[in-house]
Amino acid sequence: MFAQVHVRDLWKAYGAVQAACGVTFDVAPGEIFGLLGPNGAGKTTTVECMLGLRQPDRGVVRIGGIDARQHPRDMQQRIGATLQTNALQEKITPREALRLFGSFYREAEEADVLLQRFALEDRADAAFSTLSGGQRRRLALALAFVNRPEVVLLDEPTTGLDPSSRRDLHRRILDMKEEGRTVLLTTHYMEEAETLCDRVAIMHRGRLVAEGAPRDLMGSLGTAPSVHLETSGPLPPETFEEIEGVRDLKQTGCTVRFRSEQVQGTLSELTKRLETAGAGIVELHVRRATLEEVLIELTQEEGDASSGSDGGPLA
Amino acid sequence: MTYAFLIELRLYYRNRMALIYGYLFPLIFLVAFLVLYRHEPVPLVNHMGELLTVTALGGACFGLPTSMVGERERGIWRRYRATPVSTLRLVLTAVAARYLVLLSAALLQIVPAILLGMPFPEHIAGLWVAFTFVSFAFLGLGLVIAMLADTVPAVQALGQSIFLPMLIIGGVAVRIESLPEWAQHLSAFFPGRYAVEAIQGTVNGSGLGEAGFSLLALLLIGVAGCFASAKMFRWDTRERGGTRRGKVWAGAALAAWVLVGVLAEGTGRALPHGRLPADGVASLTDALRSPGAETKNLSNVYGTQADSVTIDSVTVAEHAADSVGVGAEPGDSPPESSGPQSDAETADAVSGEAVEAPPPPPPPPPIDYPDSWEEVTMEDIDRDIRFDALPYDQGLEAPVAALDEPMYPDIEETIRCVLYDLEVWPPAWTGDPVQRARNVLYVAAVPDMYQMSGIERWVPHAVFEHLGNAHPEDELIKVLYWIAANPYEGEVSAASRLTDMCLRIGGPDDTLMLQQRTGWYAAKLLGRITGHIEVR
Repeated sequence: MFAQVHVRDLWKAYGAVQAACGVTFDVAPGEIFGLLGPNGAGKTTTVECMLGLRQPDRGVVRIGGIDARQHPRDMQQRIGATLQTNALQEKITPREALRLFGSFYREAEEADVLLQRFALEDRADAAFSTLSGGQRRRLALALAFVNRPEVVLLDEPTTGLDPSSRRDLHRRILDMKEEGRTVLLTTHYMEEAETLCDRVAIMHRGRLVAEGAPRDLMGSLGTAPSVHLETSGPLPPETFEEIEGVRDLKQTGCTVRFRSEQVQGTLSELTKRLETAGAGIVELHVRRATLEEVLIELTQEEGDASSGSDGGPLA
Repeated sequence: MTYAFLIELRLYYRNRMALIYGYLFPLIFLVAFLVLYRHEPVPLVNHMGELLTVTALGGACFGLPTSMVGERERGIWRRYRATPVSTLRLVLTAVAARYLVLLSAALLQIVPAILLGMPFPEHIAGLWVAFTFVSFAFLGLGLVIAMLADTVPAVQALGQSIFLPMLIIGGVAVRIESLPEWAQHLSAFFPGRYAVEAIQGTVNGSGLGEAGFSLLALLLIGVAGCFASAKMFRWDTRERGGTRRGKVWAGAALAAWVLVGVLAEGTGRALPHGRLPADGVASLTDALRSPGAETKNLSNVYGTQADSVTIDSVTVAEHAADSVGVGAEPGDSPPESSGPQSDAETADAVSGEAVEAPPPPPPPPPIDYPDSWEEVTMEDIDRDIRFDALPYDQGLEAPVAALDEPMYPDIEETIRCVLYDLEVWPPAWTGDPVQRARNVLYVAAVPDMYQMSGIERWVPHAVFEHLGNAHPEDELIKVLYWIAANPYEGEVSAASRLTDMCLRIGGPDDTLMLQQRTGWYAAKLLGRITGHIEVR
């Protein structure tokens, strides 16, 4: 299938730091594609190279079939974007900002349409400095749509938002897909990627270390399911010794968490031991590995602690 | 483009601080200049060049880069960069909007000045052209600042380090003539001076024609600024303008300043020579020396003041000659130049149009000028000296304190000391009566040249008193007439001997100016003795 976004062997270094090392991926039309990874993994560098904000050292970027490095202006006509910072002039109003940005493109959406769509009508003529965080983010999204783009790049669109604003934004991003647009977003919220993305790629130290549908990634990487157990009374630590397949065990009072490669065998053995100890089960969950766990696993096995655990929700 | 331009302007007018900088400050400067030069007969006309230059400089050095760096700091430019808009378009929009703001701020100074009695600018289209050149040069400079500075506070620091020196020793707020010679040379390397000259020439001078070099200088400086800032342009604080290599380009902008300064020095423009004695006294002497000269020309005697009372175009042009030096060819001033030629040149400068002087009217009957000071009569005095054309006693040139003015004790002591010194100062007692009187008048003229505030207005009293005691009145009248009518004669070495006196000042560096001031003081005392000047 013809790829709306085509990135091949993208390299970018800042001095001695390799921010992108041979990044390669495709995004199909109408797909929501997530670039995941801890801070400093190279997500933003990749997005900036795609947007023309940075010159990659080498590699190919094609958006809607247009070579972004050779015809950056043409490419920019077709792409919409939100950056991590979405500050505008303090005194500019949403309506003015939409018209201003619209004037930069060959064709532009009416400001009123976008104001309505992004629920900014009430604040259409208010100064930017008086908008709330969520309103600013919605304005940034509206600006990404001002040129009716085929492809939308969203760099950490929900970072720093409260949960309800985040859910609201998720709905709007899913709407984009409905309209047949191609969306590429970066995030370090795993549950966001699980909710939104058709496919994700996990970046670590400038490289793509895994790629696929979230469900597949979680299943295929062999990450063990996690077990959460709460008992009626505290158990001596020996209770869990030498049960086959149990690892990463953490016990606090009546609560026990662990992961197991063989859930069924582990649980039947555990039930026996609980009976012997005379303890009852109050709560028991078995959960597949989350994308977050996949990511931690992937990024930790590659190297030292500094890389995997320095960012926000991953920490 | 048009919408971006509109937004740029709208955002400007929504920013209260920007409005204060852009419009309130120019008004404050206007009032300050009005107060500072309150003794000038025509308000502000001699200072529009300085005022408008300060406005353009402030708007360009602070206004433009502050808003640009502010937007870049907030990441707005990065966001713009993700759109297909071109750099050139963004910068042009910002600069064009700023130019419009500067133009409106200029109007906000010109209109009140006219309401306050300043005559309508002589060459209004020329003024617009000159102001546009000035804006171009300074906006180019503002762009360089915007590319050089990482943060808004850095803009303030950089802007101040250009703004203040330009104001003080760059010939913008402090007149070049009041600066020491080294600073006058230095000012030739600053664009501010050319801005003042170009604008002033169109307000009350002979228009853009005389301002060719200034316009060229402004153009060069503006082009260099635009070029350097284009090389240094950065969307992002982290990019190349912040690197060392980027900063090297700022040197290209400064190189234009140096080039202009070298050109000015090379063509002998650095010192505003020829302008100081360009007015009256020379023409008086020449008129006296050339029997065919028109009596009318004597109205030029002592320059501008008398004519200024009735405002007309001639006055305005004369002011230009007085203040900025346009129209004041060096050839005008030295006493040796022949009368008719000098007069013709003055007429040219004044009218600003007629390159060909009109045919001279038939010569009036010859006047019998005295051949030596002993032959001077009251008739000569009435005929030749225009007392009402002398600089005001309360003005900046040749001031004399009013009698009822309170005197500070330390000044009183100094004046008493000067009086005593004069009793024993050898130059006050050597030579013929005219030379002696000249020497004593130098004692008043030199502090005036140095603008020794406080004391300069009182020394004339000591000098007058001494002369009144040292000469019989009849002799003093003749001597003073002779000096006033022939200021450029005589020995000036005595002026360098003031170090012996309690004034403790060195000699003057401008002999022509010294002689001009001496002539004025002679006439002022003469008028007091003969009753031509009423003293409160």
